[in-house]
Amino acid sequence: MAAPKKKHARGACVILGGFTVLSLKFQPNSVAQHQLCVKEHRVRAEKNVKRPLDRTLFVLNIPPYCSESVVKELFSQFGSVQSVELSEKPGSTEPETNSLSKYFRPAHKQCFKVGYIVFKNASSVAAAKAHPPDSPLIVSTKEKPVQTGLQKWIHEYKQLFVKPETLQEAVDEFMTKYDKKKEEEAERLQKEAEQQQEDKEGWVKVTKGSKGIKARPHSEVANKRALQKEDKKKKRKELLNFYAWQRRDTQREHIAQLRKKFEEDKQRIALLRSQRKFRPY
Amino acid sequence: LKMKRKHLTSAQSLENEMEVLNEGEESAKDTEGIKKKAETVNEDGVLRPLKLSKGELYKAPTVEELNQLKEAESLFHCSLLKMQMDELLKEVALSERRKKLVDSFVQQITDVLQSVPETPVVELTDLSWLVDSGIDVPFILVPDATKGKFHMEPPTSIDLIGSYPLGTCIKPKVSVDLAVTIPHSILHPMDGINQRYSRKRALYLAGLAKHLSCSSAVGTLHYSCLHGNRLRPLLLVTPSGKDSNISLRIHALPPPNFLKPSRLHPQKNNIRTQWFTGNDSQQGNGPPTPHFNSTVLGDHLPRSHLQFLIAHSAQCPAFGDAVSLLKVWLRQRELDQGIGCFGGFLAAMLMAYLLSTHKVGKTMNAYQLLRKALHFLASTDLTENGITLAKNPDSKAPSLPEFHSAFQVVFVDPSGHLNMCADMTSCTYKQIQHEASLSLQFWDDPTLDGFQALLMTPKSMIRTYDNVYQLSDLVKMQASCKKLGLLASLMDHSGNYVLAALPFILSLLQRGLGDRIRLLTHSLPPDPVWPVNKEPPKHKDQPPLSIGLLLNHERALSVLERGPPADSPEASEFQQLWGGRSELRRFQDGAITEAVLWSGTTTCQKRHILLEIIVYLLELHADIPESCVRFVGGQVDDVIKFGKEVSSTGEEESLKVIQSFDDLSRKLWQLDGLPLSITSVQGAHPALRYTQVFPPEPAKLAYFFFKAKEKNFHALLPPEGKPCPYYITPIKVICHMEGSGKWPNDHLAIRHIKAAFHIRLGELLKQQHAYTYRVTPTYLDVWKDGLAFRIQVAYHRESQVLRESVTAEGMLIQRDNPEAQALELETKHKPFLTSTLHGLQQQHPCFGAVCRLAKRWLGAQLFSGHISEDAADLLVASLFLQPAPFTPPSSPQVGLLRFLHLLSSFDWRNSPLVVNLNSKLTAADYTQIKNHFMLSRESLPVMFIATPNDKNVSIWTKEGPSVQVLQRIVTVAAESLRVLEAQLINPRQKQDVRVVFRPPLDTYDVLIHLRSKQVPLSANAVDRPTTTVLRGNLDGEVRSSGGPFPVVDFDPVRLYLSELRDAFGDLALFFCDPYGGTVIAVLWKPKAFQAQPFKTSLMNASKVEVAEDVATTVPNVEAIVQDFQIIGEGLVQKVELRTEKWVV
Repeated sequence: MAAPKKKHARGACVILGGFTVLSLKFQPNSVAQHQLCVKEHRVRAEKNVKRPLDRTLFVLNIPPYCSESVVKELFSQFGSVQSVELSEKPGSTEPETNSLSKYFRPAHKQCFKVGYIVFKNASSVAAAKAHPPDSPLIVSTKEKPVQTGLQKWIHEYKQLFVKPETLQEAVDEFMTKYDKKKEEEAERLQKEAEQQQEDKEGWVKVTKGSKGIKARPHSEVANKRALQKEDKKKKRKELLNFYAWQRRDTQREHIAQLRKKFEEDKQRIALLRSQRKFRPY
Repeated sequence: LKMKRKHLTSAQSLENEMEVLNEGEESAKDTEGIKKKAETVNEDGVLRPLKLSKGELYKAPTVEELNQLKEAESLFHCSLLKMQMDELLKEVALSERRKKLVDSFVQQITDVLQSVPETPVVELTDLSWLVDSGIDVPFILVPDATKGKFHMEPPTSIDLIGSYPLGTCIKPKVSVDLAVTIPHSILHPMDGINQRYSRKRALYLAGLAKHLSCSSAVGTLHYSCLHGNRLRPLLLVTPSGKDSNISLRIHALPPPNFLKPSRLHPQKNNIRTQWFTGNDSQQGNGPPTPHFNSTVLGDHLPRSHLQFLIAHSAQCPAFGDAVSLLKVWLRQRELDQGIGCFGGFLAAMLMAYLLSTHKVGKTMNAYQLLRKALHFLASTDLTENGITLAKNPDSKAPSLPEFHSAFQVVFVDPSGHLNMCADMTSCTYKQIQHEASLSLQFWDDPTLDGFQALLMTPKSMIRTYDNVYQLSDLVKMQASCKKLGLLASLMDHSGNYVLAALPFILSLLQRGLGDRIRLLTHSLPPDPVWPVNKEPPKHKDQPPLSIGLLLNHERALSVLERGPPADSPEASEFQQLWGGRSELRRFQDGAITEAVLWSGTTTCQKRHILLEIIVYLLELHADIPESCVRFVGGQVDDVIKFGKEVSSTGEEESLKVIQSFDDLSRKLWQLDGLPLSITSVQGAHPALRYTQVFPPEPAKLAYFFFKAKEKNFHALLPPEGKPCPYYITPIKVICHMEGSGKWPNDHLAIRHIKAAFHIRLGELLKQQHAYTYRVTPTYLDVWKDGLAFRIQVAYHRESQVLRESVTAEGMLIQRDNPEAQALELETKHKPFLTSTLHGLQQQHPCFGAVCRLAKRWLGAQLFSGHISEDAADLLVASLFLQPAPFTPPSSPQVGLLRFLHLLSSFDWRNSPLVVNLNSKLTAADYTQIKNHFMLSRESLPVMFIATPNDKNVSIWTKEGPSVQVLQRIVTVAAESLRVLEAQLINPRQKQDVRVVFRPPLDTYDVLIHLRSKQVPLSANAVDRPTTTVLRGNLDGEVRSSGGPFPVVDFDPVRLYLSELRDAFGDLALFFCDPYGGTVIAVLWKPKAFQAQPFKTSLMNASKVEVAEDVATTVPNVEAIVQDFQIIGEGLVQKVELRTEKWVV
């Protein structure tokens, strides 16, 4: 993929890997600019239906003060935006958290992010890629100011307040779903168990099952415990210092231990000596 | 735009230091010698587990080896201690080269001294023969009239005495004693009285100095005096040339048979009153002068003492080593120098005593001898039962009771006439006893590094004693001698009023402080040293006298001194002691007794009661004005003081918080209508264990200040455009619910159930107790008594559920993960730590104050973000649980000093810090912790703290500090300690302890200055602001319940910091003082600023640079600095770039 660096006629800055560099300013009068790298989204096997390959723009280095709505606003100058997805790292998102109500979603880190912007039209992707770096995107304009700092924190503090009733509703909704899922699971298990029972004539129907899941999963801990018990039993039966060779062995072991300790201490002393740790004052 | 480092910046030097620390990992990866290093190690200073081959371990042992191992096992604690002592002895012993130098120097000086020219006989008072040489007499000639004649003559003999010929001379102060015998012809049999002999001795020394000053072999010449005794001047000679560590001490001694010992009996008088006072009306001989007598007698005996010691040393091979060790032990405790010290000579004599009385065997080794000696000291009270070395004393020798009546401590020499401990005060001996018994206590403790505590740790006064008071301006003691009527003692001490008054002052204080203290000690006035051409320093020029106290924390701070009943005979004694302060009081039990009441309501004020007592007693009885007494370090707790009317350091506020918490917990227990019952309510916040730096105070709110009100919730909001509102700390409380089959087996479901519990708890508390609350999915905030409690419901199996998963084979497995660990930390470890440390506070009342000071220091030096509060509390707890060689601190200042010492001196790289909470760890646990630590050092946190519940992980320091930050902390702590101690002990320095609480900012790259109005805790800053900011809180009684929900836990600085760390944590480190600091210091990470090849994962906050087909990324510094401003809009005042260190 090592596309050589090329300056487009209109001045778009394209670098290695097919990325175009766009610049971004917080306010029209800001001095410094961030550089966004954009590219059409392209992976070998995209399973996520939310990121259609032809219409999705992949953006790097989105500053923390740009929320999804801000990014949507920023890129709508290249064509209408269907959806924006921001994440800490490129790659697929975890589907699990999305199904949760907003109160229970894990908090996001406020760091620089990567974004997947889905346009309505495929042409917008090209438009974005052709944007010259010397006309920066503006995050916060007079018409649509973006809150940062104190204002933002006060706003966030307001958001902390949730009506207990609404929260209760969210909880109830989740729990009903959860209970239902549990019930289904239990039913399925029962069915499987029933199938493995002997019928009247003493026949057992052997089914494949779902990958051999047993009715009760055996746990690793229990396995270990059983092994330990065995060991203990064995040990209890053993006679200690009974045979001459056993006593010899214990003595040998004792001396070996002393020797080892001696050597360790010697090493420690050598270290301390090298650090001049024996100067009392 | 390019960012380049100009020179080696601080950050890089940090990095370099770190590399030294880290070398282990790095060098192991180095190409050569991986195997070699694994075996020999040590070059990098990291200990690695040792691997011995089977053959080596199990080969047949030789007899010699067996004996050696046996000895190490049985005689010593372990072979380590033996080897350590051997190494120490090697370190302090004189090298052969040095010995040769000494010998040749001694020879040179002897030759010079032999050729002292004779001078004509003159009157003793006539000093004209000396004047033209510029040499002065090392003697305070008061009163100046004396009879007698004097002339110079070569000495009759010159011999080595003292430790050098005995072989017990140790570094670092190598002093070789040379005895020069004054010829008979100079002396007169009547010289024994009125200091005549002493003056002749001084003059003879001056004559020697005059002669030596012309010699080329001599470098410098100074006068000093033996153990601070002005009657026994010494001449210090150092060789010319580089090796000036050697000094030769020349003693001028009389011939051994000069005065009869019986004339110097402790009950004889040798200083006539009329001569001393110049007052002829006095008749008779006057009071006995035991100290003067023993001084003169002591001059006669050094040679015979040396012979005696050499005879004993020859019997016992380890004698020299044992004495050397004992000397090191004494030196570390500052007991070996000054007036009334327990010097090396006494150490040798003690050892000889033990040998001659068969308390030790001749074949014992140095280790055993030292142990026996300490045991003897600890168990024998020489102030009551003196000991004597004299086998058959002649009939004229004084008896032990006679010695006891004249001296406080008695240890009689082999001749039977001399008390070798004549100058020692009983306080000093008690101190020695205390030290000895303390040393024996931790010697046997296998959990300690006994060697370190015993012989390697210096115990300076200021770090050892809970309270230290300094008496400066010692000339005032002249007045006390008058007031106390101490003429006899003054004569005995030849006018040294400090020494004359000292025993009386000490006993006065001992009586006055009574059971408030466990030990009273005083500094030993040091030996003065002055050049030969200067006058001897006056008595008043002595450095201040320090008095050290070990407090009895149960009684030390009590405001009441209850005396005897009014009608008892002791009452008058009590009245005499306390003077006008003593009054009759009637107590609740009906008794009417004499009593003294001191002022003070808060702990902080009560800490000054001892000072008040000392000042009062000294003024009343000894005429020493208040201005002379200084409470060293009493002002250290200023930095944690708050409160407007009554100054307080937070003990009382913490108590209020805890009481309110107890009430809440009771109410939670009693709540009706919960589907599951509560199994425990535990605090998990520093404020609930007395260690919050500024404990939350009950707040009363000014509602007009908060304009915006969230209508639906009846809650206040932070107002825009006004200063940040008063900060209300949420006090975390963990509330465990009972286990039940109804709890779901899925972590998401558990979280939902917990949220439901929060809602329910809030509703019930509102219904039954009318508390306002705010509920969120993860916690419930309750507003009660002007405090905010943050209740978190916990379910004990949740962490286990998080760990469990089912494999494809249907096996239930448990895998640890960070989420489960974090949860356990919050719901299990934190509450446990809180309750354990709360218990520690009950045992040691100043634990909390030390924690607060320590954390205040960490905060002020901007390290709070790197050492967690819990870790800091544990560090302080270790000072209390393992204080060896000290005792647990009983005052905040000594605690802070030891905390800084611990931080700066602990070997974090090679040893785990084990904090034995509740003494749950056994010796075996210690070994196990150490072994595990050594095995997996590289993967463990840099600062490793083990506790009984956490032996192998060090959960509190997992997140930090990093190697670099720890290195920085160590450096700053060492420097702070140095500055603070130097300031505290020197009364002439400006006493501003805040110096060590002001961080050095010049090492940082960017400083973000904040608007102090928006910093909620700005009033608690180290340097308090002059203007107060209105933050919407009022004085006055607070309501216990109801009212709108206040603004809880809204701290813009913390929010800002967390956003900064989120966004730029890879590029820079952020430092801030959480207690009202208005600066955030930023340090770029040097590694982040090296250009990297372009990668999608490395693009954050960077810019692309394209050069010759290669795209590289570097941090976009300009934009980042601008982002600092943008993210902190409204809070940030200005961003200061310290571009002297780097360029954009």
